[in-house]
Formats: sequence, structure tokens, C-alpha cells
Amino acid sequence: MNKSEQSKTLITKKKKTFKDLLKSFRVQKELWIICLIALVWVVVFCYIPMLGNWIAFFSYTPGKTMADSTFVGLKYFKRFFSLPDVWRILRNTLAISTLNLTIGFAVPIAFALLLNELRNGFFKRFIQTISYMPHFVSWVVVASLMFTLLGSDGIINEGLIKIGLLKEAVPFLNKAGLFWGILTSANIWKGMGWSAIIYISAIAGVDGELYDAGSVDGLGRFGKVWHITLPGIANTIILLFILGIGNILSAGFEQQLLLGNTMTQETYEVIDTYVYRYGVQMGNYSFATAVGLMKSVFGFGLVLLANKLSKKFTDMQLF
Amino acid sequence: MFGPKTFYKKSVGSKVFDWFNFIFMIVFAFIMIYPFWNQLVVSFNEGVDTMYGNLYFWPRKFTFENYQYVFKRQNLLKGAVISVLRCVVATSTSLFCTGLLAYVTSIRYFVGRKFMRLVFIITMYFSGGLIPTYLLYTGLGLMETFTVYWLPGLFGAYNMLLIGSYIQGLPDSLPESARIDGASEMKIYFKIIIPLCKPVFAALAVMVAVGHWNSWFDVLLYNSSGKWDTLQVYLRKILLQAEQAAKLQAEQKMYEAMKNLTTTSIRAATTMVVSLPILFVYPFFQKYFVGGITIGAVKG
Repeated sequence: MNKSEQSKTLITKKKKTFKDLLKSFRVQKELWIICLIALVWVVVFCYIPMLGNWIAFFSYTPGKTMADSTFVGLKYFKRFFSLPDVWRILRNTLAISTLNLTIGFAVPIAFALLLNELRNGFFKRFIQTISYMPHFVSWVVVASLMFTLLGSDGIINEGLIKIGLLKEAVPFLNKAGLFWGILTSANIWKGMGWSAIIYISAIAGVDGELYDAGSVDGLGRFGKVWHITLPGIANTIILLFILGIGNILSAGFEQQLLLGNTMTQETYEVIDTYVYRYGVQMGNYSFATAVGLMKSVFGFGLVLLANKLSKKFTDMQLF
Repeated sequence: MFGPKTFYKKSVGSKVFDWFNFIFMIVFAFIMIYPFWNQLVVSFNEGVDTMYGNLYFWPRKFTFENYQYVFKRQNLLKGAVISVLRCVVATSTSLFCTGLLAYVTSIRYFVGRKFMRLVFIITMYFSGGLIPTYLLYTGLGLMETFTVYWLPGLFGAYNMLLIGSYIQGLPDSLPESARIDGASEMKIYFKIIIPLCKPVFAALAVMVAVGHWNSWFDVLLYNSSGKWDTLQVYLRKILLQAEQAAKLQAEQKMYEAMKNLTTTSIRAATTMVVSLPILFVYPFFQKYFVGGITIGAVKG
């Protein structure tokens, strides 16, 4: 901080007092006006919705205030657990998340490692550019591509019939038993190139001299990946995995809403789509809010737990 | 970027691996591209002919019919206009306001700096949830308006941190000397900060704009009447129609305007119209968004 700065403005090195704050409203009026606009916005669009969760504990109908509504305590929370739906939804959410966090997690790492082994720089860049192409299109477009590929007269059915694996066309997207597999494949196809970016930049950050030292010690190609590259990016891997654990209750919902249909509802419905269906489509606002709130609370607990684990294992923490 | 060092002898195993890796990557690229190519082929093939199958790499009966039909639909053109408008308005307002906030909260002597940062960072960890947000927007009268596309995204905590860390990397002396010359903060923001922050603004603009172009769920939630349908929602409606049509052949025939068209071919053409702008644009902006994700990684 230079002299002129100090002379013109408040000195922050001293302990701030209430008087300083009042003075700043006068001296830094312009900055405070900008902040006021931002504050109004953040209160309206972020904090009021947080408080809006009160309706989970009240019997709410639209247009009523808290004073008009009757307090029902944990009625809606209890109701959720008494419905037969609950286990199906929890099972689907956890199953889809687990698939994403295992196969969906390993594939980008493997891809980044293989990409790093390519010798031709131009080919490498080409492959990488191709790899995140699907990230940039919406789930609506991906769903449309999948309808075409997986439909009864789609190319996959045709191919499987031709090589004799199928006798007649199977409407894959109408089979509840196949939904998790299809969804996970779609998630990987859409996201792997993008997820790999972070690993590729981590690999680039590994000290090149280690590889030279490895050569001297007689490490082969595979040995270098195993003993140098992987340990070099281990912290990134652990950190992202732990973040993934924190998000395990969010199994995505756009894909489910687009690819699922009434025939696959048994396996596609997750917490988020359930909240949407009950809240927005059926108008059970209090009940849906309770379910959503429960998810947020558990989710936050998981994030805290994950943060603790991260601190323990990697010395890194998220906050 | 690190490439495999050529110090070690090229053993036979290593060479074999290279070939396998090369072939694997070619297959991989095929898997990434083919779904789009397949859709493109279907979109340029006569609809009825497509139903016979065996259509792999090239249209058999080439036609523009599907696109002609698609572009005649008023809803598609309207959707395109709204999508573009949404991208432009939402991206520019969001970057301008978030950038301004980032600037204000990176002025070292500003007393409210820490408080403002905290207020916004909290929003990264807690959010209101779907239903309270939905009810709030209903209460505010944001339903069935264009405003709902840009106003709720005016400020963003994550982008504030990204722009803020970029501003902190700039030399202090520039805004400082302007301040001594009596420039107002808004003027400093316009004349100094925005020009200097072009790289980070460009990176974020690509991200934000792509997000808005691809967004469809909020349209479904807040603009369900169809008055402000974007391209994505238009495509989704076609998807749903196709789903029903697969079950009800009779209805499908009524839905067809021309005899050679099928729902599949119309859907293929629409999908291409929706995704091609992005597919053409994204390779040119690569360095921006890869830069963006790496700044994010360092920050997080």
C-alpha cells in the first residue's frame, strides 16, 4: 500500500471501528451503492429462497403467508418415508451416482493417461478437441441422438440383428432394466473429455525430471505411468473423488427427464425428478420442499464429511 | 505440455502399445463423432427411405426436404431468435454486473470488501432448492417473462472469485493513478478494468453463453406457456411428439405434412439446427474455456 492510497482513503491496518464504517459510507459512497444493488439482488434471489424452505414444516397453499398456514412439524418428512416410493427413489439415486462415481470416474483418468502417451502433438490435440465436443451440446440434443441410435429402427438394433445377437428389434429406451446402463454410458460419452481436462493439466504439472530419473533407474513405459504419473496426480484424483462423494445425492435430473419414460420410471426416478414431479407438476409444494430440504441437509453433511476426509488423506480441503 | 520422453529405447512392447493406443484413439474419435454424423445423414435423407434402415455413412436419397420443412415452422425461427437474444442479454448483463462486483470486492482498502465476499461465497454452498425458488419467481411475477432468463443469473459467486483473482493479479498502480486524477469508480471499471480483463471475460463469456444456449429445464419451469420457448425446448417438444408417435402410428400420419417426412427425419434436422452453431464455434474458443477451467482448478 503506498502513501497516496493511505492519504486518500481509510487505513485498514488499524482495527476497524464502527466509526470507520460510518466514515466509509461517506467516503466510499459509490462503492457502497454498487454493493447495495448486489446485496438486494443476493437477498432476493439467494437468501429468500433459503428461508422459503419454511413451507416444508407448514401446510402451505399458494398465496398464503406463514401466519395463515398451520404448522405441521415433520409431517411431510415422515410421510416421505412412509411411502412405498422412497426405497425405489433412494435406490435409483444411489445406484446412478455410484455408477457415475466408479466407472464414470475412472474412464476420464484412463483417457487422460492414454492421451498423454500419444507422441504426435497434432493428433493429440485433435483427439482432445473431439473428446469434449459432446460437452457443448445440451442434454436435449444428446437425448435426440440417442433416440435415433437406440430406437427400434436405429443403427444399434440393426447392427445387433445383423451379427445375430438379436432376433428382433428391442426398444432399448423402454426397458427399465437397461436404463442405468444406458444413462451411465450417456454420462460418460458426454462428460469424459471434459472431465479429463483437469487430469491432463495435472499430468502436465508433473515434474519432467522425475521421468528422466525414472529412465535412469530403468523404469519402462508402464512403470513410469504407475510410479511417476499416477502418484503425481493422486491428490487431484482423491480430491475429485471426495467431491463426488459429497454430491452423491445428486444423480443428475436432465438426463433422466429426457431419456426416461413411463415404462422406465421404475429405474429412472431419482430424488430431484421426484421433487420436480411432486412439486411443480402436482402442486404438492410442502411435501416436495420437505424432500428437497432433506436432500440438501444430507448432502451438506456429506460435503462436510468429505471435506474432513480430504483433509485427512490429502492435506487439502475445500473450505 | 509434457509428452512421453524419448529417452528410453523403443522396445517392441512399447511400439505395439503405441499402435494399440493409436487405434484405440481412432475408435474413440469415431464413437464421439458418429452419433452426430448419423443424425446428419438422417437429416439429409428422405424420411420414408430412412425407415428401411441400412443407412450408415452417407444419405441414400439426398434431400433438403427435412430442412425446408423445419425452417418453415414459425416456432423454430422464433425459438432461434429467443435463444440468441437470451444468450446475448444474459451473458452481457451477468458479466458486467459480476465483473463490477468482483472489482469492488478486490479494492483492498474498501471496508465492505470481506463482508460482500462472504455474503456471496455462502451462496455457493447453500441454495434454496427447486420449490422455494419456483414459488418466489411466481410471487415476483417472473413467470412467463423474458426477464427470468437473465435476472436470476445477474451475479455469480464463482465467477466473481474468478474475475476477482484476475483483477488482483493486475498492477494496483493503474486504478490508483486514475483515482488520484479524480476518476469515479464506475469510470475506472469501464476504462481500465474491463479492457485489462478481456481474457477472463472472454473465457467466462463462452462458458456462460453456452450454458444459456443449452439451458432448457428453466424454460420448462418458468416459461411453460410456450411464449418464450427457446430452441432447446422446441427440440424437446419434437422429441416428446416422436415418443408418442412411435406408439401411435395413426397420429404420426396426421402429424406429417408431407408424405416423405417422418418424425425421425424432422427431429434429426431440428437437432442439427440446434447443435451445429455450437459445434462450429467451440473449437475456436478452446483456449478460452480450457483456460477458464484451469483458473477454476487453481482457485478451488
